[in-house]
Amino acid sequence: MSGGLKGTEIVVKCLKEENVKNIFGFPGGQLIPLYDQLFEETDIRNILVRHEQGAAHAADGYARASGEPGVCMATSGPGATNLITGLLNATMDSIPVVAFTAQVPTKAIGTDAFQEADTFGITMPITKHNFLVKSTDHLSWTIKGAFKIANTGRKGAVVIDLPNDVQQKTSKEYHHGEVKFAGYNPSIVPNPLQLKRIAQKLVEAERPLILAGGGVILANASEDLRILAEYLGAGVATTLMGKGAIPENHPLSLGMVGMHGRLGANKMINNCDVLFVIGCRFSDRTTGWGLESFAPDAVKIHCDIDSSELNKNITVDFPLVGDANLVIKDLIKFIKKYEDVKKDTNIWRKRVNQLHGMCEECETIKPNGKLTPENIIKTINDFLDDNAIVTTEVGQNQMFAAHYYVTKKPRQFISSGGLGTMGFGFPAAIGAKVAKPDSQVLDIAGDGSFLMVCQELATAMAENIPVVVAILNNSFLGMVRQWQELFWDKRYSGTKLGTIPDFVKLAESFGAYGERVEKASDIEKALKNAFDSGVVSVLDFKIESETNILPMIPPGGRIIGRIFV
Amino acid sequence: MSTQIISVLVEDEAGSLTRMSGMFSRRGINIHSLTVSPSEKEGMSRMTIVTTGDEREIEKIEKQLNKLIEVVKVNILDKNTSVVRDLCLLKVYADKENRAEVLEIANAFKSNIVDISIRTITLEITADPLDIDRFVETMKNFGIKELFRTGVTAISRDIEKKSGG
Repeated sequence: MSGGLKGTEIVVKCLKEENVKNIFGFPGGQLIPLYDQLFEETDIRNILVRHEQGAAHAADGYARASGEPGVCMATSGPGATNLITGLLNATMDSIPVVAFTAQVPTKAIGTDAFQEADTFGITMPITKHNFLVKSTDHLSWTIKGAFKIANTGRKGAVVIDLPNDVQQKTSKEYHHGEVKFAGYNPSIVPNPLQLKRIAQKLVEAERPLILAGGGVILANASEDLRILAEYLGAGVATTLMGKGAIPENHPLSLGMVGMHGRLGANKMINNCDVLFVIGCRFSDRTTGWGLESFAPDAVKIHCDIDSSELNKNITVDFPLVGDANLVIKDLIKFIKKYEDVKKDTNIWRKRVNQLHGMCEECETIKPNGKLTPENIIKTINDFLDDNAIVTTEVGQNQMFAAHYYVTKKPRQFISSGGLGTMGFGFPAAIGAKVAKPDSQVLDIAGDGSFLMVCQELATAMAENIPVVVAILNNSFLGMVRQWQELFWDKRYSGTKLGTIPDFVKLAESFGAYGERVEKASDIEKALKNAFDSGVVSVLDFKIESETNILPMIPPGGRIIGRIFV
Repeated sequence: MSTQIISVLVEDEAGSLTRMSGMFSRRGINIHSLTVSPSEKEGMSRMTIVTTGDEREIEKIEKQLNKLIEVVKVNILDKNTSVVRDLCLLKVYADKENRAEVLEIANAFKSNIVDISIRTITLEITADPLDIDRFVETMKNFGIKELFRTGVTAISRDIEKKSGG
């Protein structure tokens, strides 16, 4: 015996030091050594998914719900390429995910060996960073470095590509303590001079508005954000990713802005005199397209942890780099010093409160006992408790959920924002449930999205992860159909899914609970049945085929432009 | 839109060049030339990138480069306070009739003759890229058989601070 640790022992040791309790993965030839190491491991739960994409999304959902990095693993070649969508999804939404991919033995790299893929090259542009480990001696340093990169600064996915021999060889090298990179030292402490200027602008505002993005949630800054908003009398609008940054039943909450945003939130963006934007990257779905008409009269303040986001899409008056939590905490301190010059914001606050309570567009569809997305989600609101987590798929279901689901706490609304990945919500729900086993977890799904990942019903059954999937089943790819209806002369090319499959029978074939719902009066009972069943459940809500999610800003339109109601 | 020279100090890691050039292509930015060479620091290389863009675009590039883990330092070089050099090897057609003229021009540009055959002359010139452009343009009149340029490398000048005051 040469002493030292085997590569796979080093992996497990590092995972324990990083406090990893759960891994989502799928084995394969080159990954057998690591799977073998985990076989008798009791401190790390090894959750077998049924497709690698599910592993990446579950790790992502786990990270969003817990605030800790999610971990997934896949074998070389197709295993690694199946992770791609999930890794980009995490990176675009700044979610910390560490992925281990197996690789052919170092000697075989470059020979086009069986199940060889250039994972390092393929994952380079879709991750925050990636590594190919060429020697077991570098393994511990790499893994610790990967967790540091994934979970600091602007978070994201990191890939560690592990050749088979690197997993199996032994090494005496083990890196203790923190890994340092010469070129990576994210600045998260905000500049006090700029903070002071921003604090002055905020107290001078008569019509202050806060636009909170996902960064507020990632930085665990929600509580302080609420304090800041209350102190300023500022309305708080959020992006899709920022949903939950302020309790949406709070009187200062205006809901989501943007392409499918609340009319009130969009209106107030354009009426405020100081716009304080934090942890948000001004995506085109948030701003609309006429960038110069986004909050045209406001003094714009933009705080983000990633300096490359400042002045990228929108030019602002006061850019500030920093962690949202530190920025808001410091701002509160500064603002209190300027108490004597603080402007009265009572009139504005009253308008915000009015708009909070009023949702014009919500009233356009009258409750008529029909099964509608509004009815379903409003019933879900009443049914779920305050700790429940809702995930969504992508498309109409996502926008209905964003619009009508009232999120009361951060990390309880989980949705694919940047990449817009159909098939994200269900595996993400599985990940969230693993992170928070005592919370109710429900995926608001579409029939198209769910079918992309329905094989994970097997994962949820085998691993006893009882999440509920609520399918808003319109037998269409609803969002694309809506665009075709509104902008493409109702030519429903490629969007008609029909009534295939029978989702109830599909669920039952996995041993899961399935129920079809056709009347509004049955929604609550079905939810109760699903949560009482104790197993993963699929509720097939049959809604009208040609339902639209409104309001929306037409493509190319501006946030104050024509809005369909 | 003006030409900008960006000097980047990067850690020598497998893939750092791909990561760097990948960032440019992903953000839709054109690279005119790119040189990579060892730096004065062990384990680190210096990349000199020439690209075009206005001030705002260059600022974006700088920020995106700084985001890459291997990038240690990014310098936007000011052409007025930097020494900028490019090396060019050029094989030009030169027969009996025009050989004297080619050599005369080569001499005027202070280029070196590195090879001669019956039909061609190979010249080497190290100069500011704009001078090389002019050199190449002139030589086109005789017919260029082959042309190689290393791409720009550049270094900032140490400007002595005025004392007193």
